Amino acid sequence: MLVDFELIKRAQQGDSAAFNDVVLAYRKRILGTITRLIARPEDVEDVAQEVFLRLYFSLDQLRTAEVFEPWLYRLTVNAAYDYLRKQRRRQEYRMSDLSEQQVMLADASAGGKAERDDQYVKKIRESVDSLLGAVSEADRILLMLKEVEGLSLKELEKVYKVNENALKVRLFRARQRVLKAFEAAGKGKEPA
Amino acid sequence: MEPMRGSGEERLDGLFRAFAECPTPEPSANFMPDLWARIDSRQNLTFSFRRLANAFVTAAVAVSIALGVWMSYPRSNQSFYSQTYVEALENSSPSETMDLIGPVSLDLSDTGR
Repeated sequence: MLVDFELIKRAQQGDSAAFNDVVLAYRKRILGTITRLIARPEDVEDVAQEVFLRLYFSLDQLRTAEVFEPWLYRLTVNAAYDYLRKQRRRQEYRMSDLSEQQVMLADASAGGKAERDDQYVKKIRESVDSLLGAVSEADRILLMLKEVEGLSLKELEKVYKVNENALKVRLFRARQRVLKAFEAAGKGKEPA
Repeated sequence: MEPMRGSGEERLDGLFRAFAECPTPEPSANFMPDLWARIDSRQNLTFSFRRLANAFVTAAVAVSIALGVWMSYPRSNQSFYSQTYVEALENSSPSETMDLIGPVSLDLSDTGR
């Protein structure tokens, strides 16, 4: 926990300064998570504010300190999910978004050769964003939490309130779908 | 550019690793003021709705009480309703009623015509 439960209790009682401190303690982490979940830096702050807004209005429902972080994760996941659903309506996934150059960048990143400049980071984000278009918004978030955020199955169990086996199956299927899309894009790069 | 190495799984893991290492944006200076503005705006909306709902409930209770009082008050023309329909008809025009329901009498004395 980044903050004492006492601080959260004070925030629950309507202490604005305490709530401010909770946000300040968690905002960097939440911004990072949302950046990886939605892969669009321009909208990250807006989604993060939505998370803390939901936190503010639902804080009185929190009973124990142990569940605070999984619960904050759940709020983050839900806000990211809502955002992605809205985005999906605006912009349909196209397989061709995974350009040759993006696949080559992925290879290079695996070898650790490319420089981490802004352009490179942008392209990595675009590659992942396009690639994850192969799965539903819910699976995309689940996959990101496991593969990129590094959450364990136990932690995911707490966030999703679903048993471990169901999560394993879902993760496996989602990864297979993404892998298939990735390999299809890789084949496109090879000369005919 | 290096040739492609490893299986698709490894390359995908590499991509995810690279993605995880991407720097995350720093919160802007307006993050907290904007957040509080959103909280205030939502609170005002909730407050307005609650006030509207309270006003509606109060008005409904007042109307119910007024109706209750009105219904329980004794009516001034209560006697009008205390008689049956037939009684009311009798009282309203007794002569007409008699004509209608009285026995028919035939005058047979004037048959020489």
